[in-house]
Amino acid sequence: MSNRRSRQSSSAPRISDDQMIDLVTKLRQILPEIGQRRRSDKVSASKVLQETCNYIRNLNREVNNLSERLSQLLESVDEDSPEAAVIRSLLM
Amino acid sequence: MASADKLINTDVPEKDVFAFHFLQSLSNLRKQNPFDTPDQKNYRVRKIKKAAYVSMARAAGGSSRLWSRALLRRADKDDNKIVRFSRRKRKVTWKISSKRRRSNQRAPVVEEAAERLRNLVPGGGGMETSKLMEETAHYIKCLSMQVKVMQCLVDGLSPK
Repeated sequence: MSNRRSRQSSSAPRISDDQMIDLVTKLRQILPEIGQRRRSDKVSASKVLQETCNYIRNLNREVNNLSERLSQLLESVDEDSPEAAVIRSLLM
Repeated sequence: MASADKLINTDVPEKDVFAFHFLQSLSNLRKQNPFDTPDQKNYRVRKIKKAAYVSMARAAGGSSRLWSRALLRRADKDDNKIVRFSRRKRKVTWKISSKRRRSNQRAPVVEEAAERLRNLVPGGGGMETSKLMEETAHYIKCLSMQVKVMQCLVDGLSPK
């Protein structure tokens, strides 16, 4: 079965340029605040990839910050506060 | 599968799927290590961060995406689980050598940016550029969903 899977991946059709453009467009749509440039595809593709890298780094930073805040919140909850009730109902 | 997929699907599940998996991870964490020891703050933060990524990978469909597979495998390795069997299968299935990657080279300026992206997306190192873009689109959607879930949780738990 693993052989079949490897044969599939090697004979899978390469993504055509049209599909590549479609993917770049999709990425462009997901990224916030990207300029609506209409230059050649190559330039915009690399710019989109650059913005994507920045966006991913920002998201990772967000996750870090939120993890820290969550850690503080989960530790410092009083026993009878409404937050404790929320936690209890969510986590138990 | 000889038919070419014209539409590349990058849909992600709804937010509550991510929320469910994350809360489940947090609840497991709570059972293992109670959140009362004040001197283990960094350890707690790291555990929560890891729970965020792992639960995101599970919510996104576990093994149906290259990035989520790579992420879960990396997490298992961190826990020192034995991954010898899966490594053997991995060589045959989705590990694309750099030689094959070179067969679909885009313009050098695109490839340069793609290299940086490969370092950021789990499992990106073995992907062709076009596959990388598809995985990235899905990865970004899932990551932003996860951030929203965590933000909601923080907002709900913060004292008014």
